Amino acid sequence: MPDFECRLKKYRQLKDLTQEQLAAQVGVRRETIMRLEKAQYNPSLKLAVDISRAVKAPIEEIFIFE
Amino acid sequence: MKNRKTKITIFAGIICALLTGAASWYTIVFNESRFILPMNLSAYSFRTQDLPMIISGILLMMYILYLAALFLKAILAGRHRKPAQNTRTINPKWGFLGLFGLAGFLGFWTYSADKMIFPFIAFIFFGFFGFFYEGRLSNTLMDERYRENKMKAHLSASRAALTIIFLATLFLGQGRLMGNLEYTLIAYVIIISLALALKIFLSEFLLYRYDHDEQLEESED
Repeated sequence: MPDFECRLKKYRQLKDLTQEQLAAQVGVRRETIMRLEKAQYNPSLKLAVDISRAVKAPIEEIFIFE
Repeated sequence: MKNRKTKITIFAGIICALLTGAASWYTIVFNESRFILPMNLSAYSFRTQDLPMIISGILLMMYILYLAALFLKAILAGRHRKPAQNTRTINPKWGFLGLFGLAGFLGFWTYSADKMIFPFIAFIFFGFFGFFYEGRLSNTLMDERYRENKMKAHLSASRAALTIIFLATLFLGQGRLMGNLEYTLIAYVIIISLALALKIFLSEFLLYRYDHDEQLEESED
């Protein structure tokens, strides 16, 4: 299990995006976004960058590794 | 257009098979089974009765060459195609093809009848039971998590198959484990076929499990 905190849900809701919409924007399945929000999946650098661009927030604020 | 071409190809294959069957029947009944029984071609002299076998043979050869050309063309076309984004669409009922694995038991009969062991290889078809799970993941977007799960599933399946093959080699490699080297080798062929079938099946089953079980826990927002 990845050991990090994910604040994606907060930033996604700030942008008024559904999981489905965000998934379509970054080219993954909705289930992947769900897993990310629960910090149960460690994304690739590319996906992390794509997500950060989609929700317009810095990567280090979305994914917090201790 | 593509369907029409497929139908024509299948129809031509059926015609070739029928012509070969008819020519074989003719040569067995009226031509002393020439071209069916082994014959010395260096001392061959032409007979008009040979014509059906010669013509059907040429047609069959042309058909096989045509199929080979189609196959090559499909391979070359596939190289320039963009990699698929979604998994292929398959009906889970194709999983019943796994029942063909039972044909492997024919090996016991063919071995006792004329020492043929090839039918044992049919045990590999048990791997087709994996279509039950591949079908359930039809048309799934292959994102990075899917690819990761797929690699994980393939790795676990390969590890299981290799472990079985390694242990079988270790035990059966002792030689006359069953008192007969021939039986030992047959057991080895059977175990390798079953291990490969397990690898094919497990790859799909584990991928489905990794992907599906995760989804069960998930909920929208």
